Amino acid sequence: MSNLLSVEKLTMKFGGLVAIDDLSFDTKNNQITSIIGPNGAGKTTVFNCLTGFYKPTTGQMYLHQADNKVSLRKYTDFKIAHVAKVARTFQNIRLFPAMSVLENLLVAQHNELMIASGYSLYGLLNLKSYRDKEQLAVNKAKYWLDIIGLTHRADDNAGDLPYGDQRKLEIVRAMCIEPKLLCLDEPAAGLNPKESAELNKLLKFIKTEKKTGILLIEHDMSVVMGISDHVVVLNYGKKIFEGTAEQTKKSKEVIEAYLGVDE
Amino acid sequence: MQKQDIIKSFKDSLFTGLIALALFGPIVGLRTASKGEGLFITPQWGVVFLLVGLCILGRFLININSARRTEFKIFSTLSSKFSSITEDKAKHFAITGILFAVVFPFLPFTDRYFMDVAIMILTYIMLGWGLNIVVGLAGLLDLGYVAFYAVGAYSYALIATTFGWSFWICLPLAGLFAAFFGILLGFPVLRLRGDYLAIVTLGFGEIIRIILINWYEVTNGPDGITGIPRPSFFGLPFKRSPDEGEMSFHTFFGLEYSTMHRIIFLYYLILVLALITNYFTLKIRKLPVGRAWEALREDEIACKSLGVNPTNTKLTAFAIGAMFGGFAGSFFATRQAFISPESFTFIESAIIVAIVVLGGMGSQTGVVLASIFLIGITEIFRDLEQYRMIAFGGAMVLIMVFKPKGILANRKPTILMHGDKK
Repeated sequence: MSNLLSVEKLTMKFGGLVAIDDLSFDTKNNQITSIIGPNGAGKTTVFNCLTGFYKPTTGQMYLHQADNKVSLRKYTDFKIAHVAKVARTFQNIRLFPAMSVLENLLVAQHNELMIASGYSLYGLLNLKSYRDKEQLAVNKAKYWLDIIGLTHRADDNAGDLPYGDQRKLEIVRAMCIEPKLLCLDEPAAGLNPKESAELNKLLKFIKTEKKTGILLIEHDMSVVMGISDHVVVLNYGKKIFEGTAEQTKKSKEVIEAYLGVDE
Repeated sequence: MQKQDIIKSFKDSLFTGLIALALFGPIVGLRTASKGEGLFITPQWGVVFLLVGLCILGRFLININSARRTEFKIFSTLSSKFSSITEDKAKHFAITGILFAVVFPFLPFTDRYFMDVAIMILTYIMLGWGLNIVVGLAGLLDLGYVAFYAVGAYSYALIATTFGWSFWICLPLAGLFAAFFGILLGFPVLRLRGDYLAIVTLGFGEIIRIILINWYEVTNGPDGITGIPRPSFFGLPFKRSPDEGEMSFHTFFGLEYSTMHRIIFLYYLILVLALITNYFTLKIRKLPVGRAWEALREDEIACKSLGVNPTNTKLTAFAIGAMFGGFAGSFFATRQAFISPESFTFIESAIIVAIVVLGGMGSQTGVVLASIFLIGITEIFRDLEQYRMIAFGGAMVLIMVFKPKGILANRKPTILMHGDKK
């Protein structure tokens, strides 16, 4: 199976603090790769580098597409999502709380809709071509809402949804930009076991049906071990282990990092 | 109501009275008056006690009201009346309002004074709607909005007096200039949010005013620009005695000459301009760019993660908001026929922001209600001269006490999946 993302010798320094130290790993197409590690290991920093929120001190990140590879360093900010098609969610949910569920999903399709609305001109003239495109966008939103079972709440404010539903909504909102790579920052945080199970189902669906690669930061081991094809373990910014879920469970280094070393 | 509640409210209101006494004592109580030679202090303790008494009473009533909402019919019905005005009902209100505005000039009690006040209120409504795009939708607190109003007014005045072009050519040009200044302001403040943005925009408003005062060669400095052409009715001027071979409005329609013709025309002009602003805002709110503005207000980082370009989105909000400010400015210039930097002070910006915030951020109908309320009340008390600002302050306090989120704070989604069933 071909590589989707290659991280090569990534280093991120904040002043004297080395948050990520010479990190290299690959993720493959149609696989779920988890990044785990104790608190402060640098997991979210990796995400922020990948999704353009930080500019790494040194190192390269490549996204492999059909026949060429795209350097993510070249894109900053919103272009990561717009051009490189890397989507992400956040550790603390970042929906648009005062906007409706449907509007949240339409904002995710902003760039296509902007072009369809002729940068607002066709939209102001209320042309049919724009209305058709808008209907397509609504249909796409409905498709995803059907999957997470929130269609009946499409017109309610996103901020009024229960916590677990907000998590799922944030994930499908990211999926609405049709990403090549989906980065999820602790999607199971604060979910109860039933909701975690639903989350697993959703992530497996995205992996198999949508052929989207998933990069996952997670503390909930039932999620990590249940769905990961590949696990990267970080501690103090360094990669201490890489392998399948089964191998990770047995790894001495990982156990030591989490539980400490026997005296 | 329990006894200790009353005692507690009473104690609290006495404390309020103490603060009021400390404030009003020196400010109102000691008045300097010049009698013959030199200044003398005339105490006015009667007024002070009256004001302090009012504060104590007001605070007491508010306390009792919050302790037991049902008891005090006046306050609770008043506030529930306002909260029952949802955007749905606001639609009926809007249609009635527009109809009323259309027939207003021909109502029997309408005289010159009423028309002038109505024109002023409509100007503020238009400015409020323009600023609503920037503050209400995009969530960018702009305290220097009057700068665009000034740019529009001066562009119109300068173009019209220099080249003698007609109002209908100058109006879009003034709007374009104002939009350009909107982008000019937008660039340096792209990374700023909240309080910091407010301070920079406030500074921008002052910069424009000070340039207008000091750039004497172009703007004529503090003396202002006089003799700005009046608008014409599709080429027909409103003149008592038109030039040779020229028709004027009253001769063309065979009417008796009246200054009211021009006033009525100006009234409809600003009404149409304001309604265009409103229509445009309502439309664009439902387009992708409008949704992006609101999304940006909600969470900028989430916007970036979804590929929304925050720079373009913010700049369009600034530019479009400024454009409508510019239109309103050129209307102001043509109505007054004289403009000077005096008209574009910070207090104007503050009033417009107050209208938007008190109306309920992002609510179009709220802006109308707040304009009528704030400008209307200030006008009613015009006889009190400088004390009318007390009425203005009082109106703001009333809204903030009873509707802290603004008169109309309900947001309706821009698009519905299940149709309008609620």
